[in-house]
Amino acid sequence: MACEEVLESIELIAAGELTISARFAEHLASCTRCGAALDAARRVDALLRSRPTPAPPANFSSRVMSRMRLARWRGEQLLDWGFNVALVTTGVLVVLGLWTVMRQSGLATVSSDAIEMLGPGMMLLVRRISPSLPLYAAATALLGSALAVWWWAERDAAL
Amino acid sequence: MEPVNERELVERCRRGDEGAFEELVDGYKNLVFALIARTVQDRSRAEDLAQDVFLRIHRGLPYFRGEARLSTWIYRIVANVCIQERGHASADAMISLDDTRATVPTPSGADRQFGDLELRDRLEKAIAQLPAQQRFLVAAHYLQGVRYEDLAEALRMPLGTVKTHLFRAKQQLRRLLEP
Repeated sequence: MACEEVLESIELIAAGELTISARFAEHLASCTRCGAALDAARRVDALLRSRPTPAPPANFSSRVMSRMRLARWRGEQLLDWGFNVALVTTGVLVVLGLWTVMRQSGLATVSSDAIEMLGPGMMLLVRRISPSLPLYAAATALLGSALAVWWWAERDAAL
Repeated sequence: MEPVNERELVERCRRGDEGAFEELVDGYKNLVFALIARTVQDRSRAEDLAQDVFLRIHRGLPYFRGEARLSTWIYRIVANVCIQERGHASADAMISLDDTRATVPTPSGADRQFGDLELRDRLEKAIAQLPAQQRFLVAAHYLQGVRYEDLAEALRMPLGTVKTHLFRAKQQLRRLLEP
């Protein structure tokens, strides 16, 4: 029997996955090269079986959950941003469309005439509300701050 | 994990139940981490990759059809992550392996334990030189409870091919460890 034939199956024999025939056993007992190879293969198999099983760190699950929440929050932010962009784009397109329709149908000219007619009335309205403008500005700033705080709190909760 | 529990857990995860996903992480973290740490051999990198695996699982759960077992699907993700991870058969590992070839562990005496440690170190370096797929197979096959059939399904390979790859890997290891 040729050594090559035995050496080809030496890993299977070492792992106990191949039952050796009498011919194989006889060769292994008499051939030092194949015997040494079988010993080496058995040693490799034993080393592989006794390899330590690395354990994850204690806080592994919580780290995964944090990363998962962050990834989900980013996904939601992206979705929100896309929705807002779509909303603004739609608004702009609607205004442009209306303006085009008004221009082509002649309604725009009628509107200009109406504005001219309403002009003096508008000026009077502006004159009346101008003393209260600082109050309106302060109210708007307050509302803006409240919205900013709300947005910041929402962001923190999502994190 | 029982198949019925597995299905229920997947359904709860799909409904966005965070607790269910945490259960899934707890149930599979040891297996996933051990497989990756044995394949890439750098512990901090292994932790990053193991976390990536669970993020992929989370993203992929809505598309998991349940045709394969959950564990098989997870093995497949781990295998892909490990195989994509390159550059771990480092040059220093190769040099060290060659350097220590001359010092074969003593078969008996007080140095035996040291010899075993040295042999183990050489084995790890030899494993690092294997192709990624063989490294993954060697890591998985010797973990408790992982069957040839699971690996074949995870890697989408015939059973015979998995056995051949493992056989070639062990042959290569034996040759690398020969004095």
